[in-house]
Amino acid sequence: MKAHKVIVIGDFGVGKTSLIRRYVLDVFSDQYRATLGVHLYKHSDIVPIDGTEQQVKLVLWDIEGAPLPGEQMMRYSLGASGAIVVGDLTRPDMIEPMRRAADMIEARLPGRPIGFAFNKHDIAPAPDDSNIAALKDRYGALITCTSAKTGDAVPNLFRDLTARIIGGKGGAV
Amino acid sequence: MSDVKSFDARILLEGARIVAVRVDEDLVVREVVGDWCEVSVGEDVRDTVPALIGMEDELLQELPYIQLPFVSLGMSHEQPVAISVQRDWKTQSLWILLRDVSEEASVQERLVHQHNALSLAHRELAAARDAALTADKAKTRFLANVSHELRTPLNVVIGGASILRKPREKPLPTEDVVTFSNDIHDSGVLLLQLVDDLIDLSRAETGNLTIHEEWCNPSVIIDEMIRLSRGLPEAKGVEIVYEPCAKAPELFADPRRVKQILLNLLSNAVKVCDPGSRIQVETEVLESGDFKITVRDNGPGMSPADLAIALEPFGQPNAETRSRGTGLGLAIVARLADLHQAKFDIATKLGEGLAASTSFPVERLSSNAG
Repeated sequence: MKAHKVIVIGDFGVGKTSLIRRYVLDVFSDQYRATLGVHLYKHSDIVPIDGTEQQVKLVLWDIEGAPLPGEQMMRYSLGASGAIVVGDLTRPDMIEPMRRAADMIEARLPGRPIGFAFNKHDIAPAPDDSNIAALKDRYGALITCTSAKTGDAVPNLFRDLTARIIGGKGGAV
Repeated sequence: MSDVKSFDARILLEGARIVAVRVDEDLVVREVVGDWCEVSVGEDVRDTVPALIGMEDELLQELPYIQLPFVSLGMSHEQPVAISVQRDWKTQSLWILLRDVSEEASVQERLVHQHNALSLAHRELAAARDAALTADKAKTRFLANVSHELRTPLNVVIGGASILRKPREKPLPTEDVVTFSNDIHDSGVLLLQLVDDLIDLSRAETGNLTIHEEWCNPSVIIDEMIRLSRGLPEAKGVEIVYEPCAKAPELFADPRRVKQILLNLLSNAVKVCDPGSRIQVETEVLESGDFKITVRDNGPGMSPADLAIALEPFGQPNAETRSRGTGLGLAIVARLADLHQAKFDIATKLGEGLAASTSFPVERLSSNAG
């Protein structure tokens, strides 16, 4: 069975590692530990795709955080089947770095599905509807408000993105 | 037969903690040079090096460009490796080089961690600084408003008193004396109200505004406040009616503060209503069990922008009513509602009147509600 590479990118401290560890290991830690380079997580899951449950294999790339995508992030993104762009709802200026990361994905990986994860929803409200609509229009992306702390919406984020990857629905859905 | 024939090359690779893995076009391992990490001949290299999953197209290029400086398995926290790919032009073999970077990584990781922690701390400090600046500006604006609101009625008091005390040959006509005396009295009342409101607001901001709760009958309070409001000068020609729900519950609250809430809302309503208008006070027990008191008028209403201004201390969006209140009423009502764990809400549209409601939680009601 083919494994699919999914990269998880975004500014540092937004919760990329926490989201992956919540999905793969169902754990959460309040202690912040910076990710250096990339940490890989292999994970098998059963995902509903086009009405049937399918076993899937994923390699999740937890990529070192940066406010803007740089050379290193581009290197690590090579060959990815999809991407999750993570933002921190407690930061007032979160949207622009997320757009820049999504622009990099579109340029490097055209047609690959993108998911936007607005994380820390347990302590901050969802973004304005206008912001969500603008991101949906521009990138055709999945948009989910998540909480790695409580686990809210985390599995569905990864599963919905996987369904898009395997179902062949690319960026402009 | 090995493609790395030179003994020196082997020594060099092992000394640099590099494992060189030769793979075929199917990415099956054909040769391994170096022994610090376990890669077995005959296996798919992607099983040991999952970082290569998804990179098959690039690996099969004539000049593959794959440089991954720090890669580790997140689940097991294995030592990080740097991965690079080289094609040997003499033999066309594809070599994957895995270099142990654990020493660099430990230093680099500390640096990245410190950099990120400092950046996050910087952002938090910047946010705190912005919040402090905003609060400082709000305080300055507040003080300016207080000064302005104090000066206006004080000027009336001083001006009126100056006229009355001025020696003159002929005494002032009686109606002038009455007018100036009334102005001085009204301004004094307004000043007293302003000072009382300021004290309440200041106590609320510092968490010192207290309530003294007891069981009380909201209908009695509402009736009393409606009678008082009918006596307000602006209430002339305005109809104020009470429409109670079928069985109003007893309320565990501070009756003085509930009166304050109602009087503020009623006096706001009468100020904006023209003669002939109607103000309704309604009570309702909601499905949730909460008890809602609404003061509804059919006045000019407010736009969302004006409503936001009205909810700020001293916010008076309508210039016509500016001289007739302190502009602190709604801010105080909101805080008094908070103290009772009640929800204060305003529903209004420009030209469609305004309904200000306070919903007391079910826990504050006697069990005879319904």
